[in-house]
Amino acid sequence: MSKKVLIVDDDPDVRLFNTTVVEENGYTPLEARNGEEGLEMIKQDKPDLVILDVLMPKQSGIRLYRELKTNKAFQDVRVIVLSGIAKKTFLRSQRALTEFGDASVPDPEVYLEKPVEPEELAAEVKKILG
Amino acid sequence: MLSAKMNPKILLIDDEEPILRVLSMSLRSDGYEVITAQSGKEGLELFKQASPDVVLTDIRMPGMDGLEVLKQVKEIKPEAEVIIITGDGDLEAAIEALQNDASDFINKPVHDKALKVALERAQKKLAIRRQLDEYTYDLENMVKIATGEFERKSSFQAKLIRSSNDGIIATDDEWKIVIYNPGAEKIFGHPRSEVVRKIDARDLYPPEIRQLFELSAADDGSKKESAWLETFIISKDQERIPVRFSGTVLREQHAMMGSVAFFQDLREIKRLERDLLKAERLAAIGQTVSGMAHCIKNILHGFKGGSYLVNVGIDKNNTDKLKNGWQMLQRNITRTSDLVLDLLSYSKEREPEYEVCAPNTIADDVCELLKESASDYHIEIIKNYSASLGDVLMDGRTLYRSLMNLVSNAIDACIFDDSLTKKHHVQVTTALEPNGFVRFEIQDNGSGMSPEVKDKLFTSFFSTKGAKGTGLGLLVTHKLIQEHQGTIDVMSQLGKGTTFIIRLPYRRVTAE
Repeated sequence: MSKKVLIVDDDPDVRLFNTTVVEENGYTPLEARNGEEGLEMIKQDKPDLVILDVLMPKQSGIRLYRELKTNKAFQDVRVIVLSGIAKKTFLRSQRALTEFGDASVPDPEVYLEKPVEPEELAAEVKKILG
Repeated sequence: MLSAKMNPKILLIDDEEPILRVLSMSLRSDGYEVITAQSGKEGLELFKQASPDVVLTDIRMPGMDGLEVLKQVKEIKPEAEVIIITGDGDLEAAIEALQNDASDFINKPVHDKALKVALERAQKKLAIRRQLDEYTYDLENMVKIATGEFERKSSFQAKLIRSSNDGIIATDDEWKIVIYNPGAEKIFGHPRSEVVRKIDARDLYPPEIRQLFELSAADDGSKKESAWLETFIISKDQERIPVRFSGTVLREQHAMMGSVAFFQDLREIKRLERDLLKAERLAAIGQTVSGMAHCIKNILHGFKGGSYLVNVGIDKNNTDKLKNGWQMLQRNITRTSDLVLDLLSYSKEREPEYEVCAPNTIADDVCELLKESASDYHIEIIKNYSASLGDVLMDGRTLYRSLMNLVSNAIDACIFDDSLTKKHHVQVTTALEPNGFVRFEIQDNGSGMSPEVKDKLFTSFFSTKGAKGTGLGLLVTHKLIQEHQGTIDVMSQLGKGTTFIIRLPYRRVTAE
């Protein structure tokens, strides 16, 4: 059975784009529209990789990322952050949360800024999932 | 009476020793302190030493006579009382003595009663003089103290006026300038020496202030002094100087006794305000640029996604993919043109184009268009239109874009709300207000706003929406509504929801 990739993004265009890339490269895409839905699906469907947007309604990608990195149950889930906001802005907000007493989390292994070329996204997904 | 208490010292001069003895005994028994001399010369010596209050002297004496003693005593101590003892019927001598300022005369042989009366009279005069002296002294002292106090106060006030940063100008009742402090010098440019007691203050003031003063001088003084007024002073060098002015006509009873004017120099404040405005504008531009860059990045991502899907569709001969990709491209073309339109709307003035339109229909178009995306998030759109609101003259495009913006904002506020229990809704209300306005109310029970966010709503390019927001939407809406002579109000409570109210002037469609 092919590996599962969960796409979490509030923009339907982005979800359609990303699911197509994932599908075309032989993986099974799953979709969630916000952080909250995303977390539910990670628990239920146990995807191998999450492609995570940052600014979303309900739970944001900043929170979901922390959850994935601090909860032992999710330690095998790999993450690609794909967002319109700059990497350094994302890192700054993570650091701010750490300073306010949250656990410190590692930087994302892959951070892609929108707009992304389909080939680039595909390459990163393949690198992680093999 | 006074005698015992005062216990005055008496110098008794007579060449006849027995008289001296008898008189001095009698006087001492009356409580006087008595010193005696047997000649005019001796008497004067004693007078210089003991400085008695009263001198009682015989007029006829060998050597220096009584008149001479009188003259010299008066020279030494004018306030000393001198009583002359004259021989019986020696009226001429008595008159001369009185002319020389003797206080009294008594005849020889000296009767106790006459002496007593003369002494009492002398003493009374002494007492009165002493009291007068005391009064005078007190008065002088009081004047001195009061003057000192007054000088201290007036110098304090003068210093206060001089050191005030504000310009202070005071005039007398004929508008002649009497006070003109360095602060006023700085604002008006005229040196003090050219102004004080030389210029009619009204010639210095701008017409506006001059008029205020003249009006105030003409009325009965019942009106209170004017509130601060912002205006400009044209200085000596023809510079326009922004000031805040306050002034009043000074009155005594009801008559004008002068006027005073205070000027605050606003140049520094205005400069700071300008700097701040510039800084804010720069910050706003920075925020817009980053907001727009963000928005454009998302649009570009959509374009890439769309063309990728089109490519996949062509390669795989998959019509679905092709169609989806093409739609994605079209959606992002729309997003691009919306963004550009917003930017243009914001950057240029636009006159509303009035046309006959039905506000309810426009509101309904907006609601129908957004209903689908709202229902994705289980948000109900409640329509609450006033049936009595028919066709009006209005810029339909302004209304459409404003409602579009506010209703999608309301939907976003529900989507972004963290509450899991709320049943979210957006209610759109239209109404005709009795005050001649058409009211549109967009109410949601979404996330609401903190006061800080609310304050920033219309003031700068500001977005809380990240990926979706350019920070332009409300700015554009605000501008459109203003151009339409309307108003926009917002009420919001964090966690409870937000209500936006637009009011546009009601223009009835006239038959023709």
